[in-house]
Amino acid sequence: MKQFSVINTRLPRIDAHAKVTGDAQYAADLSMPNMLYGALLQSPFAHAKILNIDISKTKRLVGVKDIITAKEAGLIKYGVSPARYDETLFCDKKVRYIGDEIAAVAAVDIETALEAVSLIKVDYEPLPVILNVFDAIKEGAPAIHDDFPNNICAEVHQEFGNVEEGFKQSDYIRTDKFVNKKQDGAFLEPQACIAVYDLNENLTLYTSTQSPHYVQRTVAMVLNIPIGKIRVVQPYVGGGFGPKAAANSIELSACLLSKRTGRPVKMGFTREQVFLHSRGRHQFYHELTTGVKKDGTIVALKNTCYLDGGAYASFGIATVYYAGSLLGGPYKLANMKYDGYRVYTNKPACGAQRGHGGVVARAAWEQQLDIIAEELGMDPIEFRLKNIMQRGDVTCNDLNMSSLGMRESLEAVRDGSGWVRKKGKLPKGKGIGVACGFFVSGAGYPIYRSETFHSTAMIKLSEDGGTVDLFTAAAEIGQGSDTILSMIAAEALGVRFEDVKIHSGNTDFGVDLGAYSSRQTLMSGHAVKQAAENVKQQVLEVLSKKLNTPLEDMDIKDGLIIFKKGPVDCSSLKASYIKEHRGWAKFPTESQLTFQEAARIAYLEKGVIVGSGAYKPGELGGKYKGAAVGTSPAYGCSAQIVEVTVDMETGEVTVDNMTDAHDCGLAINRMNVEGQMQGSLSMGLGEALFEEVKFDKKGKIENPTLGEYRIPTALDMPNVNTIIIESNEPNGPFGAKEVGEGAIMPTIPAILNAIYDATGVRIKELPVTAERIYHALKEKEKGKE
Amino acid sequence: MLLLPKFDYYEPKELTEACRLLSETGSKAKIIAGGTDILVNMKKGLISPKVLVSLGRISRLSEVERMNKSITIGSHLIIAKLAEFDLIRKRFSILASAAKVLGSPLVRNRATIGGNIVTARPAADLPPVLMALGAKVKLKSRRSEREVALDDFFIGPGATVIKPDEILTRVIIPETPSYTGGHYIKLGHRKALEIAIVAVASKITLNKPDGVIKDAKIVLSAVAPKAVHAKSAEEVLIGEKPSAKLFEEAASLAMNDCKPITDIRGGVDYRQAMVEILTRRTLSFAWKEAKKGKKQ
Ligand SMILES: Cc1cc2nc3c(=O)[nH]c(=O)nc-3n(C[C@H](O)[C@H](O)[C@H](O)COP(=O)(O)OP(=O)(O)OC[C@H]3O[C@@H](n4cnc5c(N)ncnc54)[C@H](O)[C@@H]3O)c2cc1C
Repeated sequence: MKQFSVINTRLPRIDAHAKVTGDAQYAADLSMPNMLYGALLQSPFAHAKILNIDISKTKRLVGVKDIITAKEAGLIKYGVSPARYDETLFCDKKVRYIGDEIAAVAAVDIETALEAVSLIKVDYEPLPVILNVFDAIKEGAPAIHDDFPNNICAEVHQEFGNVEEGFKQSDYIRTDKFVNKKQDGAFLEPQACIAVYDLNENLTLYTSTQSPHYVQRTVAMVLNIPIGKIRVVQPYVGGGFGPKAAANSIELSACLLSKRTGRPVKMGFTREQVFLHSRGRHQFYHELTTGVKKDGTIVALKNTCYLDGGAYASFGIATVYYAGSLLGGPYKLANMKYDGYRVYTNKPACGAQRGHGGVVARAAWEQQLDIIAEELGMDPIEFRLKNIMQRGDVTCNDLNMSSLGMRESLEAVRDGSGWVRKKGKLPKGKGIGVACGFFVSGAGYPIYRSETFHSTAMIKLSEDGGTVDLFTAAAEIGQGSDTILSMIAAEALGVRFEDVKIHSGNTDFGVDLGAYSSRQTLMSGHAVKQAAENVKQQVLEVLSKKLNTPLEDMDIKDGLIIFKKGPVDCSSLKASYIKEHRGWAKFPTESQLTFQEAARIAYLEKGVIVGSGAYKPGELGGKYKGAAVGTSPAYGCSAQIVEVTVDMETGEVTVDNMTDAHDCGLAINRMNVEGQMQGSLSMGLGEALFEEVKFDKKGKIENPTLGEYRIPTALDMPNVNTIIIESNEPNGPFGAKEVGEGAIMPTIPAILNAIYDATGVRIKELPVTAERIYHALKEKEKGKE
Repeated sequence: MLLLPKFDYYEPKELTEACRLLSETGSKAKIIAGGTDILVNMKKGLISPKVLVSLGRISRLSEVERMNKSITIGSHLIIAKLAEFDLIRKRFSILASAAKVLGSPLVRNRATIGGNIVTARPAADLPPVLMALGAKVKLKSRRSEREVALDDFFIGPGATVIKPDEILTRVIIPETPSYTGGHYIKLGHRKALEIAIVAVASKITLNKPDGVIKDAKIVLSAVAPKAVHAKSAEEVLIGEKPSAKLFEEAASLAMNDCKPITDIRGGVDYRQAMVEILTRRTLSFAWKEAKKGKKQ
């Protein structure tokens, strides 16, 4: 076992004080001298032609400084995947969902801005509204986008092995359907931003985002401003979960309004606008057919999925691939066929959300596997263990499990939950269920085709040698990356955690694709580690010369210089530091030579010590079309066991206990890993039991509030037993890989399987409300009569 | 951003002053108590009163007083306090239990008993238990004062018999006789911050511990435009000896004493079925408590 000084411990987060005291400033808290306020005009129709836009009244309103529509903004198409740039900043000829953007206004205060947009008069000609995937793909359905006459935004057809052959070899085959509902990210902080276009034509955008880098690229492209002139800065961010991983309409509007008015412009979404902008989880209609042998060997899987994508593509192309590729593991499976269709409808666009594309597929399959285990008379855990993949296995779709503590996780939850004692022995109304899952540790490729590095990092030492400034464009969105990256820097450089000062979430600090696909610990971590090692090398090189000691005989640990071959006389260096240091605060008192002294000596020799690091994944598997979605340098995995009580009369579900084991390679900060596990489980619990964006017949959201769109409260969450599994990932920095999303994979199906165990009914539609269980129980009773 | 419309704001220290302000500004003025309903509605643009009169500084309106045959609660008492008062917890435990499941700690620290009544939401938590307890409200205007039984107070969603210049000053709850028990169950999707899908408040009084039911109140919430008595269920109980079978009969009658609708919180069938289950459960619990003989 390696000995670490900083990582693999439990340290409080760097941002803990600022957040707990309310000192942390979020985008909506910021303000600038001379600032204008922007507001959006959004469509009240789900599908309509725009006949005319009349801004004459708005223009006359005192305090209005600018009005922009498609005419002023232009019609440059953007989106997430270059293959599907299907959005323009403002609608030109038609609107495609309630909330589609038509114009923006900048005014001296928010009241005037809101009044101004209300004075814009738009003439619409309503078009037929399509709210359902299956209506959208019907012959003759109106096209929401002219380029996609059948409303199919993207389709995927993949086969690995031979599924028909696989079914022939199977003793038992079953087909099940499964559906969830459209979901919202439900992060606490609604998006907000301030754009400042200065007299030197430099644009700074302060915004609540998961990816400063993608926002910078999109702003550059849509507003035709050179990349180098744009700086995207991320203040504290209150969660993202996916929907904040791409540029949004207020970011682009504020930038354009600031450029045109020469004044800072602030904009923000209301909670309702968060729901309208959406980009949360799709609605998935899965049909899964699985073939197994009598002995429980899984042989083949056929997966068909229709995704309700809403009005624009957003991350949807990746989503439709993930809904297939993420069933390739964690079980040995030789034959897998996938047909996926992502379909346009007149609803807010769906995109990426925690566990991107895989969560519903996983829920559907893990429930089906439970049914199959029961039919075969096998214990669900035994059945899973029989098929489990391990380190070094490669899935049929070429995902390389370079580390995989799946078996260890499953055994850990079995033993940690008392499964053997409980399964099959609980009274009616009480149930226990299990499920597994895995997830990428960073998308293998950027969302745009490029050879770019995925993460760069830079470290600069202060002139007194006492502080290590770490610069990264990685995005801290509440998940803890600032803490993790500081810990990695401290460990790799050999200094104390508190010596590192992190500067993150700013495109001036380098390139980083941002906080999505659970990538930053592994990818940004690699870049930071490299930068730290580079700085360490530079300091030791100077020391080596000064002390006439071979570099290999020295190291830095805990802020001290280590001489591996016995003490070296450093008195002259220490003396010169004290001379340099006169009048300064906090100089080293240790008898040993400290890093601080060494770094000062290095500075006197070389000038500012700066080191950098850069990471992109090496060669990844998969040569087939779509292999770019799902391949990753590493995969995290987890197993969960959930215990529930179901009120057999009302259908109410209470989750009593959750046991979760997650393999994160190596836990950089154990407390943070547990936090991500708890957060994933709570989010999964909400998706399983409550969450659904509801629409009326005209395509209007009926519950755009956190009162009627329910996420779990503290009272809905049971205590969670979190078990960290460490498999030492060869492709991760210090062996680390993801925990942010993988941990949500098993939650929904474990709850579903527990509900079945308690009630004898299988629910194949999310969310599992009390009412749904009640009706299922009634159906079952009827069946018996 | 959701903005509040502009309004004038008054914080009188005397009730008479509050009454004067209301009568002088007429229908343009509104009382603000905790603000947890009215400010939300103002931000949504549903109402835009020109004047808000706060009751926050009229200290008597936050007091609980014991009279000879009743207790009276000042309308400005916050929900969090309702559940804290020993007197309420011991004597009117169903009121305390309803107060505990209203909203969240944040909401309970601001919202008041008066606001919860006057706002007249069909799913509000306090009206059903207060109706089961036979509560009355005291309404005061500049010129008059009257008492109205809560049973006669509500008209429909958001509508009550209160006049624009009247202030609800006190809630009066009669002392409960011996051998009385009660129970309140709120069925929601999650365990806090929840508006009821269905809620039922029941209260029964026995003539002696193993005797017959002397008085019965069953109030159903969220299944009609306002909280309603399950009249036929109440009637079938009176004069009978309590039993599981009797409660089942009452529960099934209660199903037809309401007119639920399907909305985003739940469907008609489910709501109706839950009325039966919750009625049965509240009655069984109330019976257990009533037998103990202690005054509720
Ligand atoms: C997040 C949230 C959760 C909630 N959860 C619940 C819940 O679980 N259960 C529930 O029942 N309610 C709930 N509510 C609704 C609300 O909190 C309650 O109805 C509350 O009791 C209202 O009281 P208030 O003092 O805030 O009233 P206010 O908002 O101040 O006033 C409400 C109305 O009553 C009038 N009014 C108030 N006091 C008087 C008076 N003394 N005389 C005359 N008129 C008066 C006002 O003019 C206004 O029209 C919730 C609200 C929120 C925002």
